[in-house]
Amino acid sequence: MIPAFAVLAVFALALLIVAARRGDGSARKAIRLGTDMMVKVIPLLLLAFILAGMLHSALPPRLIREWLGQHAGLRGVLIGGVCGALIPGGPYIAFPIISAVYKAGAGISTVIAFVTGWAMMGVGKIPFELAFMGTRFTLLRILLFLSSRFLPGGRPISYSEPH
Amino acid sequence: MRNITIGMAIAAAALSVLAYSRGGMPLVLSGLKEGGLMLAEIAPLLAAAFLLAGLIQVMVSREFIERWLGRGAGVKAVLLGAVAGALVPGGPYISYPIAASFFIGGAEIGTVMAFIAAKNVWTLTRLPMEVALLGVRITVLRYIVTFLIPVIVGLLANFILSKSVERVREQVRALAGGDRP
Repeated sequence: MIPAFAVLAVFALALLIVAARRGDGSARKAIRLGTDMMVKVIPLLLLAFILAGMLHSALPPRLIREWLGQHAGLRGVLIGGVCGALIPGGPYIAFPIISAVYKAGAGISTVIAFVTGWAMMGVGKIPFELAFMGTRFTLLRILLFLSSRFLPGGRPISYSEPH
Repeated sequence: MRNITIGMAIAAAALSVLAYSRGGMPLVLSGLKEGGLMLAEIAPLLAAAFLLAGLIQVMVSREFIERWLGRGAGVKAVLLGAVAGALVPGGPYISYPIAASFFIGGAEIGTVMAFIAAKNVWTLTRLPMEVALLGVRITVLRYIVTFLIPVIVGLLANFILSKSVERVREQVRALAGGDRP
């Protein structure tokens, strides 16, 4: 987790300097935006982490390793993609849940399928899409994105990894 | 937002019951502890991630995105649409109205599909959150694996949907109603 923090801190600092050098209050506005966002999602975050922790307790690790572990192969990727699509809500909800599944023993390719399934096929966005783009566009988009998963470059690859 | 909160609370309660049936109160408490520890470990990362998300939102304005999208045609437009999708901040309630306004404004369907796909897999504002919660390695691999998707779906859409595009556009325009020029 240390490299993750370093990466984020370096980028934040660099952008903060750029924003501050604009001299138009951009930096202060950005800090306020970020703080507002954080305060707004804190209840949701707490709930997401409780959910992630419970996932840890409720699902036997053996089951996850067997079905979603690095030896689960294509089955793990398919299950991951479908489960990912079924996670509603934004990144604050999806990522803690996916992180819990990873910690419980899921393989990297399964985790990537989880994230991709949630990001590309997530059910949570469909109401917005229907409202602004209509049924025709939404249907075509779903078919198109589904088919892209089977094209070269669109397919999650399996990795061998030390877990 | 409220529906999601309620749904998550129900899921957490259901999992608690499942944990209780597997190992009684100690297992439920260990689940709570696990969640708390995860949050405590990640809290500083989240603070940095939110600061970064705020900064990206300020640096990349909506006008900036709009200048990128809906310009040119063919492969170039697909690429521009994908870059715009990567840059657009906020949730689906922000990106879909932008996608709709460009589609109505005459952008090709491949440009719009590439925009949405890139918003889903290339997005810049979510990147800090992904690094914070899943780590650098998974995030980098995930970006590599899904890198070509926006371009592929954009080109594919232009190629196979060119016949039905006007009917689709008509519906998007009807949904936008009279509140547009």
